[in-house]
Amino acid sequence: MTAATTQERVSQRVPLWRDVIVLKWVTQLFLLLVVLGAMWFLASQAGDNLRARNINTEFDFLERPVDIQISEGIDTHPDTGGRALWAAMVNTLRLSISGILFASVLGVIVGLARLSDNWIVRRIATGWVEVLRNIPLLVQMVLIYSALTALPRVGLDTGPINGWLHISNKGISMPRIFLADGFYQWAIVVLLGVMAAYFVRRHRQAIQDKTGVHTSPTLWALGTVAFFGFVGLFIHPAFSWLGPVFDGVADLLDSLPNAVPQLLFVLIAVGGATAWIRRFISDRRSALGHLTISDDDWFRIAFTAVASLAVVLLIFRWSGLSAWTLNSGRDLFEVLADKFNVDGAARPFDAMRPDIIQKGKFPNYGKNGLTMSLGFASVFFAVVFYTSAFIGENVRGGILAVPVGQTEAAKAVGLSRGQIIRHVVLPQAFRVILPPTGNQYLNLTKNTSLAVAVGMSDMVQVGTTVFNQTGMTLPVVAIWMLFYLSCSLTISVIVNWFNVRMRLVER
Amino acid sequence: MTDTTPVEPTDGQTRDLSGARDMIVCENVSKWYGDFQALDGVSANIKEQEVVVVLGPSGSGKSTWIRCINRLEIHQQGRIVVDDVELTNDLRNIEKVRSEVGMVFQQFNLFPHLTIMDNVTLAPIWVRKKPRAEAESQAMALLERVGIPEQAEKYPGQLSGGQQQRVAIARALAMEPRIMLFDEPTSALDPEMIKEVLDVMKALALSGMTMMVVTHEMGFAKEVADRLIFMEDGQIVEQNTTELFFSNPTEDRTKAFLSQIL
Repeated sequence: MTAATTQERVSQRVPLWRDVIVLKWVTQLFLLLVVLGAMWFLASQAGDNLRARNINTEFDFLERPVDIQISEGIDTHPDTGGRALWAAMVNTLRLSISGILFASVLGVIVGLARLSDNWIVRRIATGWVEVLRNIPLLVQMVLIYSALTALPRVGLDTGPINGWLHISNKGISMPRIFLADGFYQWAIVVLLGVMAAYFVRRHRQAIQDKTGVHTSPTLWALGTVAFFGFVGLFIHPAFSWLGPVFDGVADLLDSLPNAVPQLLFVLIAVGGATAWIRRFISDRRSALGHLTISDDDWFRIAFTAVASLAVVLLIFRWSGLSAWTLNSGRDLFEVLADKFNVDGAARPFDAMRPDIIQKGKFPNYGKNGLTMSLGFASVFFAVVFYTSAFIGENVRGGILAVPVGQTEAAKAVGLSRGQIIRHVVLPQAFRVILPPTGNQYLNLTKNTSLAVAVGMSDMVQVGTTVFNQTGMTLPVVAIWMLFYLSCSLTISVIVNWFNVRMRLVER
Repeated sequence: MTDTTPVEPTDGQTRDLSGARDMIVCENVSKWYGDFQALDGVSANIKEQEVVVVLGPSGSGKSTWIRCINRLEIHQQGRIVVDDVELTNDLRNIEKVRSEVGMVFQQFNLFPHLTIMDNVTLAPIWVRKKPRAEAESQAMALLERVGIPEQAEKYPGQLSGGQQQRVAIARALAMEPRIMLFDEPTSALDPEMIKEVLDVMKALALSGMTMMVVTHEMGFAKEVADRLIFMEDGQIVEQNTTELFFSNPTEDRTKAFLSQIL
């Protein structure tokens, strides 16, 4: 009682203008009002000005036809502005994602090479980093482009190219591998391999637990699957009999009367309920055979029985359910039969070579074979090389940031060089490497917008064309900003997630 | 210091080790860092089960010497033979010696990204190829021996300095070494944590481990050591049994050093 009054008096004694909590809230509210006011002012000014100059800010141009040719991608002659921007966005994403993957791999190699004991390797890596990061990216991109245009011309007039790789001044082409008709038969072989791998893994694990010898059970399991996959390439037609079997099942399901699934469902419902009740009662029986069933238990038993009867009633009242089950079962097996009723010589995989349909020109990628156009190749190699120099420095810094004592302690307990790197150095270096490398990923994504310099149709190039044709500058810029912002935020979220996971636990 | 137990000779000081075989043999070991000579013809033998404390002012080469014994530093002249294996550039010899010699560092050097349990089991699993379950039960036994089994699932950053150093001892013992090297194990600890680490080391010495300890803890030296070695400027100035070393030092430099720290 007295304590409360004392506290009240204390809190009353603080004047409002000295109360930290009040001051904090007032400042926050005041700042919020200033920011909102400024935004409202700027927005209304912009609106007035735009209206005064008759500038349109509608997004309906996305639906209207445009006359744009896109250098490559999912759609080279888009019908509408929206479709054009969509195709350009896919191109940019394709560049960014593949760029990030390859720059990471190359960056790690460069970083490790800079720390190598080998003098020559170390010098080459240093030269790589110093040259690449000190020349503007745009210059490098144009340089790569001009080097690529100096490549020999396409040798063939028409028809598919020979060999695995064809490099010309029209791009870098290689065959594309895709799933062919025999794939499903092959998948059955692989499925058997997965089952076998389960037992192989268990066997190896048992040996390891018994003797302590490292038997690498996971590696063996993967090896088993790989073995089945390889053998399956040759023996998969052995499973072509599954086709007729599935056909037969489909025919059978088609000819069955509605009563069969009804009977089946009733059996499941009643049988399940009976089994449950029997087990429940036997659970309630003590070891000496004495049965005690409370009111609650009686309710559960009654509820189960009534529920199963309700299900039975539903099944007979709603005959559509049984018919639907039969029909979808038949459809499923027909589809499966289709997948297995293939020509005996069908291969599980096939490769399609780039096809020259027009003299001196490859078709766009995505249809036949994989072709990296000159524009794509120059942007790709430029951003990958450029970013690898920065990532390499991050990797080097991260590894150097691991205290020498860590390596010494690991040596002192007898770990080998490779084990020290894998178990002690890299896990600790990774948390230092990751944040700045995330920044490099953001930079790489934004740097792909330089593609406009080499005529590659990325977001910026196509967007520019779109607003030149439609006059919709502001909406296109808004789309650009939104696009690059969401790319950056996505990368940030992923990198931050890793950061939190890698953080060291301290008190 | 809170240590109130009287300093009294243990079994170690009265025992006769003259018949035991040499675990560590150093002959004329020399090492230079550039022009600076860190070790100048160091020769000493350490017998099986012997506990040797190395004393000396800082910069006298004590740490360099014991770091040469598991080749964290490379000696440039002379021979070092550990348990009949000579330390040369032969990788196999280095790995053999390192798996038989445990080391405890001044700065603990626990792996901060691994739990205490993983710190202790890392080497047994990957070097000794032990099954995980066996390595973990052994690790639990060791953590009980150093008195902190309840910390097994924590990370090093969550432990006090004394606890971390005890984990470091358990980590070294997990490799079942025949020799333990201690490089100023208590120098980075708060005074109230020194005792808990020294207690573990005393128990280890009583169990018959061959130990080489660089320390400034005179109480520990008097109580546990069989022999003391005094170093200065990379040379061994004086070595003698513990009793004689303290009661009757022969060299002037030893006397001066003892008068400063006792």
